[in-house]
Amino acid sequence: MERLVVIGAGMASGRLLEHLVEADPNAYAVTLFNAEPRGNYNRIMLSPVLSGEKSYAEIVTHDDAWYARHGVTCRFGERVESIDRDRNVVVGAKGEVPYDRLVLATGSDAFIVPCPGHDLDGVIAYRDLDDTNRMIDTAPGSRAVVIGGGLLGLEAAAGLRMRGLEVTVLHLAGHLMERQLDPAAGYLLRADLERRGITVMTQAATKCIRGDGAVEAVELEDGTILPADLVVMAVGIRPSVALAKQSGLAVNKAIEVDAQMRTSDPSIFAVGECIEFAGQLFGLVAPLYDQAKVLAATLLGQDAAFTPKQLSTKLKVTGCDLFSAGDFADGPGREDIVYRDPARGIYKRLVVEDDTLVGAVMYGDTADGNWFFGLIKDGTDIAEMRETLIFGPAYQGGATADPLAAVAALPADAEICGCNGVCKGQIVTAIEGGATDLGAVRATTKASASCGTCTGLVEQVLAATLGDAFQMPTAQPVCGCTDLSHEDVRRLIKARELKSQPAVWQELGWSTPNGCHVCRPAVNFYLLADWPLDYQDDPQSRFVNERKHANIQKDGTFSVVPRMWGGITTAAELRAIADAADKYDVPTVKVTGGQRIDLLGVKGEDLPAMWADLNAAGLVSGHAYSKGLRTVKTCVGTDHCRFGTQDSTGLGIRLEKRLWGSWTPHKVKLAVSGCPRNCAEATCKDVGIVCVDSGYEIGVGGAAGMDVKEVQPLVKVATEDAAVEWTVAFVQLYREHAKYLDRPYKWLAKVGLDWVQQTLGDAAERTALVERFDLSQTIYQTDPWAELAMREKARAFAPIADLTLEAAE
Amino acid sequence: MSWIDIGALDDIPVRGARVVKAEVGCIALFRTDEAEVYATTNTCAHKGGPLSEGIVHGRRVTCPLHNWVWSLETGEAQGADEGRIATYPVRIEAGRILIDGDAVGKRSAA
Amino acid sequence: MDTAMDLVTENPAKTFVEVTEIWIPEGDRLVLSGGVYGPHDRFAEASRAETFALGEGLPGKAWAEARPVVLKAFDGSYFKRTEAARQVGLTSAVAIPIFAGRTLKAVVVVLCADDATRTGAIEVWAEADGILTLADGYYGAATHFEWVSQHTSFPRGQGLPGGVWSALTPILMRDLGSGYRFVRSESAGQAGLTTGLGLPIPVPGGATFVLTLLSAKGTPIARRFEIWDARAAKTGTRDAAKLVDGICERDGPLWDPENAGRERVATAWEGPIGRVLATGVPVAETGAAAQGYAMMVAMPIHRGGELAHVVAWYC
Repeated sequence: MERLVVIGAGMASGRLLEHLVEADPNAYAVTLFNAEPRGNYNRIMLSPVLSGEKSYAEIVTHDDAWYARHGVTCRFGERVESIDRDRNVVVGAKGEVPYDRLVLATGSDAFIVPCPGHDLDGVIAYRDLDDTNRMIDTAPGSRAVVIGGGLLGLEAAAGLRMRGLEVTVLHLAGHLMERQLDPAAGYLLRADLERRGITVMTQAATKCIRGDGAVEAVELEDGTILPADLVVMAVGIRPSVALAKQSGLAVNKAIEVDAQMRTSDPSIFAVGECIEFAGQLFGLVAPLYDQAKVLAATLLGQDAAFTPKQLSTKLKVTGCDLFSAGDFADGPGREDIVYRDPARGIYKRLVVEDDTLVGAVMYGDTADGNWFFGLIKDGTDIAEMRETLIFGPAYQGGATADPLAAVAALPADAEICGCNGVCKGQIVTAIEGGATDLGAVRATTKASASCGTCTGLVEQVLAATLGDAFQMPTAQPVCGCTDLSHEDVRRLIKARELKSQPAVWQELGWSTPNGCHVCRPAVNFYLLADWPLDYQDDPQSRFVNERKHANIQKDGTFSVVPRMWGGITTAAELRAIADAADKYDVPTVKVTGGQRIDLLGVKGEDLPAMWADLNAAGLVSGHAYSKGLRTVKTCVGTDHCRFGTQDSTGLGIRLEKRLWGSWTPHKVKLAVSGCPRNCAEATCKDVGIVCVDSGYEIGVGGAAGMDVKEVQPLVKVATEDAAVEWTVAFVQLYREHAKYLDRPYKWLAKVGLDWVQQTLGDAAERTALVERFDLSQTIYQTDPWAELAMREKARAFAPIADLTLEAAE
Repeated sequence: MSWIDIGALDDIPVRGARVVKAEVGCIALFRTDEAEVYATTNTCAHKGGPLSEGIVHGRRVTCPLHNWVWSLETGEAQGADEGRIATYPVRIEAGRILIDGDAVGKRSAA
Repeated sequence: MDTAMDLVTENPAKTFVEVTEIWIPEGDRLVLSGGVYGPHDRFAEASRAETFALGEGLPGKAWAEARPVVLKAFDGSYFKRTEAARQVGLTSAVAIPIFAGRTLKAVVVVLCADDATRTGAIEVWAEADGILTLADGYYGAATHFEWVSQHTSFPRGQGLPGGVWSALTPILMRDLGSGYRFVRSESAGQAGLTTGLGLPIPVPGGATFVLTLLSAKGTPIARRFEIWDARAAKTGTRDAAKLVDGICERDGPLWDPENAGRERVATAWEGPIGRVLATGVPVAETGAAAQGYAMMVAMPIHRGGELAHVVAWYC
C-alpha cells in the first residue's frame, strides 16, 4: 500500500478522501495533518453557526468514527514544520511521516489589513471555528466593527447582529459585494441589512485600530472614530503557501498546479484555496470539489483534467435573497436586460452576449437563479426567448410579455396601490362607475393618490378596462430610462426619502442599469439638493464643465474664470491673472459681461497648476461653468455714484459671498443696481435687486438669453438684511422645486409667482428655507480649485499613461 | 497581441474615464463598471469632442460637445446619428489595465 | 447513528403541548376542521360540538383582535369549554390566527396542562415603537425564564424574535442554552430549552407579531422541526415547497448544504405539507403523517397574501 500524506483537513481534502475511499479503499495508507485540533467540518456553514441557526455538531462532515472506519491516521492540532523532499518525509511538530504521494491542502489565511493596531486583542479574522466561537462568546450589547463588506463580512455582520451586538460594516468600495453585485443590487442588500439594525458605511477606509492592549475603537481615514469591542477582519483571503514556498515548490500567487493538480514536484499535489491554476485562484466551494475529484482520479492513475467553470454566489443570511452568477466583465457586443419591481424590492439584471447569457444578478426574487446559471454554464442559445428571458422559465412557451396583458390577467383582488390598499377590482368598479381618467380613479378609490408609483399600473388598468376609449397620457418622461417626469422624480425622492442614485433607479423602476447622460445629472442634482448631508455628489454624473470646473471649448480646451466678488478686483489680483495667462500660454483674455475676466484656451492638464497659482493669489473659482451661482453684477452705488441710494456694491458682494458654491437647477445670475437707472441691468437677471431711497425692490425670473424676460416684482423690503434673506430663500425654493435645467423664469411660469410670494411671505417658511440653504452650504461652499489643485486629485487631469514617450526612447 | 500595462484599474473612477497618449493619438479608457474597462479613440467622430470628458452610462459614452452617444463596445453611433469611432482591445488583470500595444501603434517594451 | 435508542424514547412521558386543534371559518363562524387530542376524548367531544362567532371564545377572540392570544387561566374567562378542560386537566391555551392578506384562513389553538415539571415556552412578541416586547407568553414551569423574557426586548435583527422580524421568514435556532447566541441563553440553559422556532404571524393592518416555540429536552414541544419555503421565489412555481431547514432527534439535520438547490420538495396535495400548500390551511395529524412521532402540526405562513412558508413540528 502506498503512503499518502495530506496536509490540511478542509473541504477540498475532505472531499478528496471521500472519493479515494469510495473508489479504492486499499490504494493508500493515509495520514492526515490538520493545524486545527479537529477534523473536517463544513466551513461554509460557519455563518449559520454564528447566527445560531445551526449547531457545530450539524456541520461536522467527518467525525472521529469516519476517520477510524477508513483507517485514516489523524494528526490533528499538529503543525507541519517542513517537507523534506529529498527523503520524501513530512516533518510534523511531533515527528516525521514518510510519503510516497503528498497532498497540500493548506487552504488560505485571512488577509489582515496591516494598519496600526491590527494585532490588538479583540481583532479577529473570520476563517474557522475558533474565530466563530470567539464571536459567539462576545457579550450581547458589545460593539462590533466588521471590516469588509463582501460575502464573509456580511455574513459575520448578520450573525453578530442576531446575537445582540451593535454592528457596523466598513466597506472600501462604493457598494457592498462589488465583485458579485452591481450598484442596484448592492443598494437593495444594504437596505436589507440596515433594516436589521446593521450600520453600513461604504467608501470607508480604515486608518488604524485604537486601544491599549485591547480594541477600543476603529479610526477611519476621514477622521471618524467608531468605538468597538470587537473588530472582525473580513477583507479577503490569501492562499496559505508558506510551507510550499519553503519546500521549494513553484509558487506564484499560490501553489502552481497543472490540470491534474500536480505541483512542480511530481509526487506532490495540491488542492483547494492554496492553488493557482492557469493564473486563477479559487475561493468558492464548487471548484474545490471539482479539484478534489480530479486529484482522486490522478492519485488512482486515472485520466482527469480540471477545468474552471462559471460560478454562482449566494449570501447565507436568512431572508436576504440574492443571487449572482457569471461574468460582467468587458467584452464586445454585450447587452443588459433589466427588470425591477420596486414594490416588492426585486431587481434582476441579465447580461447577454452573442445570443447567450453570460451573467445574472438578482435580488429579492432568486427563484430562477439556478435556471439562469444553467443557461450560462451550458452556453444555451437564447435568441428565441430573448424577449421574455428575464421572466424566467415559467414564462417560456408562448405567453407574451405585453404589460397590458399582464395587468389584464391580474385577479380582481390583486393589490394595485400598496399605500392605500386598493385592489384591481375596486379600480375596475370605479371605472365602470364612470371614473374614466386617472384623476377620477384617484378621487374615487385613492389609488395612486399617495406615493404615486402605481400611477402607471392604474393607467394600465384603465386601458385594459376601457380599451380604445382610454388614451394613455403622455407626461414627458425624464428620458428613456423611466416613464416618470422630472416633477414625479423630485416628488418621489422627497416623499420616499431616496438618498442615493441606486435607490432612485431601483425604487422608481429605472429600465437601465445606471441611467444615461440625460437623467444622471438631473438625479444627481435632485439628490444633493434634497439630501445635502446624506447624499454624496457624484462627479461621474456631471457634465464635463462641472466635473472639470472649467468650460470646455469647441477645440477641447478649457476656459478659466476666477471669481471677482461683486465685480470688484485689485491690482494684485489682476497681476496674478496676467502672470497665469503668460505662464500657461493663454491665447485669449476676455472681460465678461458678468464683470470678471475669462482666460480662454487652457489645456486640460494645465488646469490644476493654473488653479494653484491663482489660488495662491487669493482667487477662487468663479463657477463660470456651473449650474449654480455665476455672478452678482453691481454698480458702484453710494460709494462713488452721485445717484446711488444704497450700497449696491456692498450688497452684491454680500450676496455673492453667501450664495457662491451652491448647486442650482440651472445657472443663476444676480445683479444689484444702486438706483432705478439700473446700470447693473438688474431687471433681466434671475434675481435682480434695484435700490431705492426707501429700500430694496427684489425682482425675479428675468433672463437675457434666447428668451428675454423682464423680472417680475417679488417683494420690496426696507433693510439690506431682509433683501439677503428673501434672496437666499428664493434661491433655496428654486433649488428644492424646479426641474433640472429650468431657469427660474421657466419654473415661475409653472408654479406661478403667487405661490412663490405666498410661500416666501410666511416668515417661518422663509427662515426654514434659509436654514436649509445654509446647511447645504456647509457641504458645498468649497472652492473646487483648492481641492482639485491638490496633487492626488490633479492626477486625474493628466493622461493615465503616455505610450508615445516610451516609444520615443 | 502585445499587452501593455498602462495603469491601475482604480486610477479610473467607476463610470469615469482617463486618457492614454499613444502613437495613434489620444485613447480614452472608460471604466463602465467595477471590473470593466473599454478603450476607444478620445476624439468624437462628429466634431472632435474629447470623449473622455463625456458622461459614461451603461456601455456607452455621450460626447460632451454635442451629445452624440457612442457604443464603447462596437464604436458605433447610437440613435439617429451615424458613424463609428475606433475601439481598442483592452483587458484587466489583477487590478491592472492592459491595452493591446499592436493596435495602438506601440510595440511591447517587455 | 444510534437509532434504536431514539426509537425507545420516541414517546416521552410528557409533552409540553397536550392538544392542538384547527378552527376554520365557515360562513360567519369558526368550525373545527381537525385536531389532535391525545387521550383527552371528552375534551375532543366537547370541542366538536362547538363553533365560535367573531369575538366569541378564545378562537373568536384571536380572529376578532387579529393577533395571537395567550390565556393562562380559564376560570371566569371568555373560554367557552372551561368545564371540559378542567375535567381533563387542561389549564392554559394559545390561539394563533392564520391570515392570508385580509382573509382569515384558520385559527390554531394549542392547549397545555400545568404542572411543576413541564418547561417550554410559547411566546408572542409584538412591535411597539420599533422594538419587540413580550406581549404574552406561556412558560409552564420555566418561571425564571418567563421573568427574564418579560424584561427583555429585541430591536430588529437581534435574537430569535428580532431575526424573524427582519428576515420575514421562520427561523430555527439551535443550542439555545449555550453561548450568547440566544440572547436569553443563560436562563434558557437553566430551563433546559434547546431548540427555538420563531415565525412571523402576519395580520391585517400591518402590526408585527412574532411567535416563538421554545422546546426543552424533557418535555419537548417538538422532537422534529421543519421549515419549508413555498415562495415562488424559491420553487419557480406556486404549488411546491422546499425543505430548507430542519432538525430531528432521530434523523439529525434535515438540510444538506451539498444539495443546495436540490432540497426535498413537497408538491400540492402530497402529504400533510402538500395539503397545507394546496389549501393554505394548517393541519394537525397523527398516524403515518407524523413520520413515526405521535403527532404533527403544519402551519402556513403567508406574506403579501401569498403562501410563503410552511413550518411543521412533530412530537
